[in-house]
Amino acid sequence: MENSKNLKEAYNEVILLGFIKLSNVCFGYKDNQDIIKNISLELFKEDFTAFTGPNGGGKTTLGKLMAGIFKPSRGDILIDGTNSKDLKLGAVGKKIGYLFQNPERQIFAPTVEEDITFSLIFKGVEKQQVTMKAQEMMEIFQLSHLRNQFPFTLSQGEKQRLALAGILINEPSFLILDEPTTGLDIERKGQLSSILKELSKRGVGMAVISHDDEFIQNLSTRIIDIVGGNVIADKRK
Amino acid sequence: MQIRENKIDPRTKLTAVIIISSLAVFIRDITLLLGILLITFTITYALGNNPLMLVKKLKKLIWVFIAIIVIQSVFSSGTPIIRVANVTIFTVEGITKGLQLGLRMCIIVISASIVSTSSPREIVQGLIQWKIPYEIAFMVSIAIRFLPLFIEEIKDTVTAIQLRGIELDRIPIRKRIKIYSYVLMPVVASTLMKSKQLSVAMESKGFGIYPTRASFKKLKMVKADYLIIAVFLLGAFAIIKVYLY
Amino acid sequence: MIYSIEVRDLHFRYLNKEEETLKGINLKVKKGEILAIVGLSGNGKSTLCHCISGILHNSYKGDLRGDILLDGRSLKDLKRVDIIKKIGIVFQDPDTQLFSPTVEDEVAFGPENLCLETDVIIQRIDDALKVVGMENYRLSNPNHLSGGQKQLVALASVLSLEPEIFIFDEAMAQVDKAGRTSIKNKIEALKKQGKTIIMIEHDMTNLDITDRVMVLKNGKLQEFKGSL
Repeated sequence: MENSKNLKEAYNEVILLGFIKLSNVCFGYKDNQDIIKNISLELFKEDFTAFTGPNGGGKTTLGKLMAGIFKPSRGDILIDGTNSKDLKLGAVGKKIGYLFQNPERQIFAPTVEEDITFSLIFKGVEKQQVTMKAQEMMEIFQLSHLRNQFPFTLSQGEKQRLALAGILINEPSFLILDEPTTGLDIERKGQLSSILKELSKRGVGMAVISHDDEFIQNLSTRIIDIVGGNVIADKRK
Repeated sequence: MQIRENKIDPRTKLTAVIIISSLAVFIRDITLLLGILLITFTITYALGNNPLMLVKKLKKLIWVFIAIIVIQSVFSSGTPIIRVANVTIFTVEGITKGLQLGLRMCIIVISASIVSTSSPREIVQGLIQWKIPYEIAFMVSIAIRFLPLFIEEIKDTVTAIQLRGIELDRIPIRKRIKIYSYVLMPVVASTLMKSKQLSVAMESKGFGIYPTRASFKKLKMVKADYLIIAVFLLGAFAIIKVYLY
Repeated sequence: MIYSIEVRDLHFRYLNKEEETLKGINLKVKKGEILAIVGLSGNGKSTLCHCISGILHNSYKGDLRGDILLDGRSLKDLKRVDIIKKIGIVFQDPDTQLFSPTVEDEVAFGPENLCLETDVIIQRIDDALKVVGMENYRLSNPNHLSGGQKQLVALASVLSLEPEIFIFDEAMAQVDKAGRTSIKNKIEALKKQGKTIIMIEHDMTNLDITDRVMVLKNGKLQEFKGSL
């Protein structure tokens, strides 16, 4: 703990601005015990941060807090300088992309292409621009050949790539992914890794919640261990 | 978290709920309805449920009640109380009808919560011992079991769609309907998928191979249960008598 | 020699597909053996499991050719009850295989379906929960358990049927390290009791407890030589 604090301080001097900043954050449902116990953290866009630890340790809850989906019971979370309490979900989406553990929960439209584009159309973006952007997304995520398919018949890996494409078309500058490797085989894990690496290279900040050691080791530059609602280790490679 | 043990047979509770809600539907007198509500309230409280929590939830419906009162008053003739520019907004009859409806709903909802003091498993067992086919009883149990998951799923989906940068409260109502159809999509699809997996899992453990099914727990009605049912029947009888004469 | 599981030239094609998912599978598993089947998604691992466990046998969902023998008897000649008593399957998603309000009801579900005597059922609940070490959670709601604990309850609900053969269909995919270790220990204990086990796996780190690994590729089973 002492060690990691020193490390963190040292890094704070090098990189000044944290994209997501948690100070003394606690969170619990109603009268139950706190799931998150007084966590202070700063996440940087330049990092590829992994959150690991056992099931039920509070990783997913922490992820949802950082994405502004949950608001802290005590303490504050600043997302790109704004307190998450003052941010509506619609506004968060422009800053942070959040991939749910189960990609099916964020696939909405009857075709792959519509699923990627509908949020832009709603916001009144020009049709030509939407088509162009969708084209680009489908290429990055290798979905072009599936554009007219019914999304729920896709494989797990394809669904996940589709969910990611739908999120990234809004150009968030930070991505939080909850257990993205569940249900993926080695080959598809590899595909996901290379996509995430590429996005990271393009300047998208990354936070991955996962208990897949190999996947984390391969990608991350910073590993944070969450057990029982506390940060028990925070190491950089 | 452990499921609360409760000594009263779920069938007794079900009977009580059926009696109370039939009374609520049958009776129109506001004083009697108020009395029934009070009794229901007390019983629920005695069984360890907190009816005040339910009242809090019902509070959200208050505008619906007011709307009903206004609609009743505007469209049916009656003794006017408040008039705005030739239009009667409140009439005595309108208010009576609105109150009746409100009281009825409160009684039914609060009385239904009496059943929830038994574990779902006991309720299912009660239904089976009432000779309701076990497949149907199981459907009820599974519905109870999956309801929280289902709600969580809808919440997540609504969150996810907002995170796509769509601010729900800023969207005009007509477009919002389209948004809700988008929300429905993943919910329906995943429900279908889940139920398929569920039925495979159940079948692989032999669900439905025999026309009947054993049960390692058996419910037994005791004296207290019969006594409670008798009190309820007598009470209901008395109330109806008062109401009719 | 009579094998615990013997698959002879098994072909399977789903009704809505043109191509066969399984193209001539031959497999022999000895009693007390742990066999792992690996392969990329969509290569038919789960289909093979479902065929062996009788879920897809004689079903309306597809076209099945070839033969599957359990302890020398063809699935075709076995009644559903016999198949259920012989082979149990633990699935990947804990949320869609646990449906009872309490852990003990979950474990009682199979024996209740088989219409066993009340004291036999209670004995089986006790035994199964002891094996997976979840005795203290008897009255808990499965919804409130961790992923690993849920899978242990799922395993217990199969154990209570006392089958000879267990299939684990990616049963550890959603479980953390501690949960995986504990499930793996239980699998090894089952092997010691002479149970036959097939594990469908994605995760290569779970293969250390197996006796033999095969890979399913393009609808055919091959020996595993380190790559998929």
